[in-house]
Amino acid sequence: MRCFWILLLWLFFQGGMVAAPPEFSPVAPGRVLQFPQDFGAHPEFRIEWWYVTGWLETEEGHPLGFQVTFFRTATYADTDNPSRFSPRQLIVAHVALSDPATGQLVHDQKIRREGFDLVYARTGDTDIRLDDWVFVREAGGSYRAQIDAHNLRLQLTLAPTQPLMLQGDQGYSRRGPETGQASYYYSAPHLSVIGTIHRNGKTANVTGTAWLDHEWSHELIGPGAVGWDWVGANLDDGSAWVVFQIRDRTGGVFWAYAALRDASGQMTIYAPEEVHFYPERFWRSARTQATYPVATRIRTGEIEWQLVPLMDDQELDARASIGEVYWEGAVTIVREGKPVGRGYLEMTGYLQPISR
Amino acid sequence: MSAALLSRWLLLGEWRAHRWQCLVAILAIMLGVALGFSVHLINTAAVSEFSAATKSLSGVSDLTVQATQATFDESLYPQLMQTDGVAAASPVLEIMAGVPAKADGRDDPALKILGLDVFRAATITPDLLGIPAEDQPFDTLSEDAIFLSPAAMEWLAVRPGDALQLSLGTKTVSLRVAGGLARAHAGQRLAVMDVGAAQWHFDHVGLLSRIELKLRPGVQHAAFKEALARELGAAYLLMEGRDQDARIRNMSRAYRVNLNILAMVALLTGAFLIFSGQVLSIIRRRAQFALLRVLGMTRRQILQQILLEGGLLGVLGSLLGLLLGYAMAAGALRFYGADLGAGFFTSLAPSLPLNPLAALLFFAMGVGVTILGSLAPAWEAAHTHPGPALKSGSEFVALRALRMPWLAGLCLLLAGVLTQLPPVFELPVFGYLAVVLLLVGGIAALPYLASLSFSTLLRGVDAQGRGVLRTLILARLSNASSLAAIALGGVLASFSLMVAMAIMVASFRVSVDNWLAHVLPADIYVRTMIHQDLRGLTPAEQQMIAALGGIERIDFMRSKSLLLDSARPAVTLIARPIDTRDPANTLPMTSDALPPAQMAATAIPIWVSEAMVDLYAFETGKKVTLPLTDPPQTFLVAGIWRDYGRQFGAIQMQLSDYRALTGDQHVSDAALWLASGMTAEQLITALDDLPFGTSLALSQSNQIRQRSLELFDRSFAITYLLELIAIGVGLLGVAASFSAQTLTRIKEFGMLRHIGLSRRQIRRMLGWEGGLLAGFGITLGFVLGVAISLILIFIVNPQSFHWTMQLYMPWTWLSLMALAMLGAAAMTAFAAGRRAVAGNVTQAVKEDW
Amino acid sequence: MHDDKNKPVLELCAVSKAYANRHVLSNLSYTLAAGEYVAIMGDSGVGKSTLLNLIAGLDAPDSGDIRLNGLALTGDDDEAATALRRRFLGFIFQAFHVLPHLTLLQNVSLPLLLNGLPLERAAVMLASVGLQGREQDFPFQLSGGELQRVAIARALVHRPRLILADEPTGNLDPDTAEEILQLIRAEIKANAASAILVTHSQAAAATADKILLLDRYGLAPLTMERTP
Repeated sequence: MRCFWILLLWLFFQGGMVAAPPEFSPVAPGRVLQFPQDFGAHPEFRIEWWYVTGWLETEEGHPLGFQVTFFRTATYADTDNPSRFSPRQLIVAHVALSDPATGQLVHDQKIRREGFDLVYARTGDTDIRLDDWVFVREAGGSYRAQIDAHNLRLQLTLAPTQPLMLQGDQGYSRRGPETGQASYYYSAPHLSVIGTIHRNGKTANVTGTAWLDHEWSHELIGPGAVGWDWVGANLDDGSAWVVFQIRDRTGGVFWAYAALRDASGQMTIYAPEEVHFYPERFWRSARTQATYPVATRIRTGEIEWQLVPLMDDQELDARASIGEVYWEGAVTIVREGKPVGRGYLEMTGYLQPISR
Repeated sequence: MSAALLSRWLLLGEWRAHRWQCLVAILAIMLGVALGFSVHLINTAAVSEFSAATKSLSGVSDLTVQATQATFDESLYPQLMQTDGVAAASPVLEIMAGVPAKADGRDDPALKILGLDVFRAATITPDLLGIPAEDQPFDTLSEDAIFLSPAAMEWLAVRPGDALQLSLGTKTVSLRVAGGLARAHAGQRLAVMDVGAAQWHFDHVGLLSRIELKLRPGVQHAAFKEALARELGAAYLLMEGRDQDARIRNMSRAYRVNLNILAMVALLTGAFLIFSGQVLSIIRRRAQFALLRVLGMTRRQILQQILLEGGLLGVLGSLLGLLLGYAMAAGALRFYGADLGAGFFTSLAPSLPLNPLAALLFFAMGVGVTILGSLAPAWEAAHTHPGPALKSGSEFVALRALRMPWLAGLCLLLAGVLTQLPPVFELPVFGYLAVVLLLVGGIAALPYLASLSFSTLLRGVDAQGRGVLRTLILARLSNASSLAAIALGGVLASFSLMVAMAIMVASFRVSVDNWLAHVLPADIYVRTMIHQDLRGLTPAEQQMIAALGGIERIDFMRSKSLLLDSARPAVTLIARPIDTRDPANTLPMTSDALPPAQMAATAIPIWVSEAMVDLYAFETGKKVTLPLTDPPQTFLVAGIWRDYGRQFGAIQMQLSDYRALTGDQHVSDAALWLASGMTAEQLITALDDLPFGTSLALSQSNQIRQRSLELFDRSFAITYLLELIAIGVGLLGVAASFSAQTLTRIKEFGMLRHIGLSRRQIRRMLGWEGGLLAGFGITLGFVLGVAISLILIFIVNPQSFHWTMQLYMPWTWLSLMALAMLGAAAMTAFAAGRRAVAGNVTQAVKEDW
Repeated sequence: MHDDKNKPVLELCAVSKAYANRHVLSNLSYTLAAGEYVAIMGDSGVGKSTLLNLIAGLDAPDSGDIRLNGLALTGDDDEAATALRRRFLGFIFQAFHVLPHLTLLQNVSLPLLLNGLPLERAAVMLASVGLQGREQDFPFQLSGGELQRVAIARALVHRPRLILADEPTGNLDPDTAEEILQLIRAEIKANAASAILVTHSQAAAATADKILLLDRYGLAPLTMERTP
């Protein structure tokens, strides 16, 4: 359940009178994901994202959390417009680095219209470019992320160590009670990361483990939902664990999902009613006055998980650019009092409901 | 302490006794400073406003890439984005769209629309981002959304959510006002929309107007610019912020400098008035100063006292002048607009900045001019021998010291030499210097000429041997000519300037009128609401117009702008059918054109305006390249024509040549000749009824002519105002001089009354004296004025505006002005005489001062 | 005020002055004692005014020395001459020369102001010449005799050592002239000043202590009966 709120806004956007609105494909069960085609973009669907999160370690052993995200969204731009500038597809990218040494998040973002070979999300295989920000799946199957942000430069190679993890029903992932409230969704957990991070004039060599989500869909969130909490974690024993809940206006759960795949590839999927989030400690942002449950206990079926944040302040205040505030950060996964793995937690809709 | 007290006593005593003269001196300085200051304020306000507004369109861009033509292919955009050293690039499509709702047949209202990529513009021109309604955040990308600056919204009387009809050529586009701009320049009319939508709606698909570049930190701008210019070739121009500034300044520089100099001349006239006032006042008080010297005042104290007097007048006058100047500037900006009606800065509403430095400068100039005006007479008074000076009648000795015949000769000679010099930085600096020298020389020569002509007259009267009054008058005028000359200095200056301006404006107007008659031979002119390079009338539409009945002949014209030099405004290219054998049939040629026989068969002829010769050295017979096509084509300059419409240059070529070269079949204008039996009204109705008729602007040539002349008069409104003020100052000077002189002669009148002249006779004598003096001044002023007008017409105008004109003398207007001046001078003299003889006769004789 | 009252007020030593090759004064010598009041008579053009100008430092002699109160007047240094004139001399003119735009009091105060002296004495002097209560009047309100009284007050207000009077009664009717001459004498004596009176009038000259005749041979006492 990964999202970029700006896209949400876009989803509901219908600018004035459009003579020839584009037509989009719905998400339906039964589609068999085909690779490498499905590594690539699906411009016939309205929204799509590649979302990499992970933990890194510098040569000195300092832990860092990172997030590199590319979104694509198709717009309602008039298909009659012959201009190459017509904003049919928008590409958005986001990078963030959590460093407990500073206690703060370093982040940057970009949004551009697709076109002129400067900005694109290609079909056929993962190949995304946003000016000089690149995310591409190379011949050997490794991903290369290259981000040249104003305050941060990342150059990472992410090599798969496990097969893909198709979420839901072979990649058909429901996110609401209605049919159609779903997406195509696969993950690549346990990516082995090597690369360099350049910031403040210093370059650091890093290694680590990451998680990639690739998801595409027509609709994102059902009416009545206000936000969500999502966790994806690489566990030390080689398991991969993903869980999310979508909250409704009443504070109840609109939809929930969890899956645990062990090192042998055995997949356990939990029904919505088997997933429970219990907030344990709240952190209040002095910047935005939003309060987040930064430490949470989660139960999936019989298992109890504890989330311990790398640092409390992993809030992104992006009101000035995209109008939203959210928390996205590195967490340690604890089970029965012992750390069992590391992952990323995303919490949205805590300052105000994700706007329509 | 006691010296200060003494100084104050003398000052107050003098001012109390001569309030009127003091007032005139203050007024003269005030008007001079006010004029100079207000013109300066208006100019700086307009230019800085225009410059700031234009700069805001480029935001923080390091380099603007533009083509020599209005638009270029968008493929340059990805190319630039991938050029090393470029940090960001923002593509811009600029459209001047017609506003049908605002069209009233007289003006040609256009809305500047910038098509932007909101994501690219955010980093370079963040001020220009549209601010959508909260619930429509993506209106910035929407095809039908347009964002307007507050000034544009006010002008168009629309609010967010309203529909807005715009036109381009014969096409109409309906857009939705989606919001305002992030930070539009105050008063600037501007619209922003998505670049893709703009390309599509306004038929500019694939085209951009410019690309704003932001360079990476550490990139050498100059080296980058040079390398890029080499890579892009001649079809593109690269501009840094200062290039744009230069272009803006160049655009209105000549106009501004000319206005500034006119204002300086007003200040100079004020200086003459101050000078004559001070001379008269000091001469009147020679004996007083002599007494003070005898009583023990040192020379320095006397000098200080006189300069203090003048300086205080200057300070007062300058302060009042600054206030008045500010008020005048504010008023002029409010009622005339930033360009005082000249049309350089439209769609801007500049605010008036308070610039302490400029205020200080004009204040210092006012005070300085006063002190300079007092210096010569003060020096004379301080250094004269107190013994003789105590005796009455010694003023003539003093005046002799002010006679400077060599100065007059030198000034006039130098003025003659200066008229032969070329412009400096494209400004007629030497021409203006010659004008000033003519004035100074003329005034310096005045005493001689006056003495010469009046003594000649006197001899004539003596020979006849009758008329005591006439003898008295002429004797005084010929013997006291220096005094008379001083009184006349200010009048001479203002009158000659007035004459010069009148002749110049009249010549210009007549030339423009003749020119209009030549360039508007057809009966009806058709054009689309706004001249655009790519739209206009399509071939099909041209066919439809040509197919209308009742047209004897139809000429289509294509106009296009070409940027030949990034530091200058674009020149206009006009393609139309031209009679190559005798282009004078089509164009107002200034000289013989190259006959076709002398052109190579392959040569493509162009005919250029005079400005092209001055600015780009396009001489007849020269081969030049124009970036009309890529690669640029070579053309042959086949002749030069006169153009009052486009100061920055215009080029005409055969429409057939243009079409062959560019393949562009659209046209911007059409000129229609009526077939016999057809009235203009009938044809206009037929044109209106065409499917695209509503978007056509139709005008009859006589209407265009009338409108052009109206515009002309409006742009010279400020000049008329300056003239009127100069006259006012001049007359004030006459009044002050005459009354001052008359008062110094009270004793003389008393004596004359004693020996048997009646009051009426004395009054008549004074009236005649005044009239004769003024007549003399007016004659000389007229001669000087004509000389100055010749400089203005044949030197200043060609050098600053790059056009020539024929001399035309507005005799009626000139005679009226002369008569008015004469009447006013005689009246003042008469009134002053009335005052002089009203007093006690015995008292007058006793008074020894 | 004066350190030694017996020092000569004015010493002329072999003073010569020529204008355009015309000798006006040649080799003129004379010493004026303190408190002495002399009248100088002579034909027109004999150099009476020139002599006064030389004494006043308004003009410089071609040769010879002029000492005022023992201090040499050098015509070249205008500042010094002006300072001496301001301090030691008082003037009375035929044409009165009263500044028209100043009050009587201000006119009389001029020498005090120029010398930086307290102004109280101006009113005293005005009263002494009989113009008490008219301090704030302007000159145009006065008759000729009254104007000359103002001039006398002005000439003596700063206690100069020497008064130069050039035809002070030339513009006045005989009765007023007599009155003014008596006033001048009285005031000079009252203020212990010396004075040179230049005049054409026998009657006027007779009010002085001594009459000198200026001719082309120099200054010589006029041996003449005093008019009754």
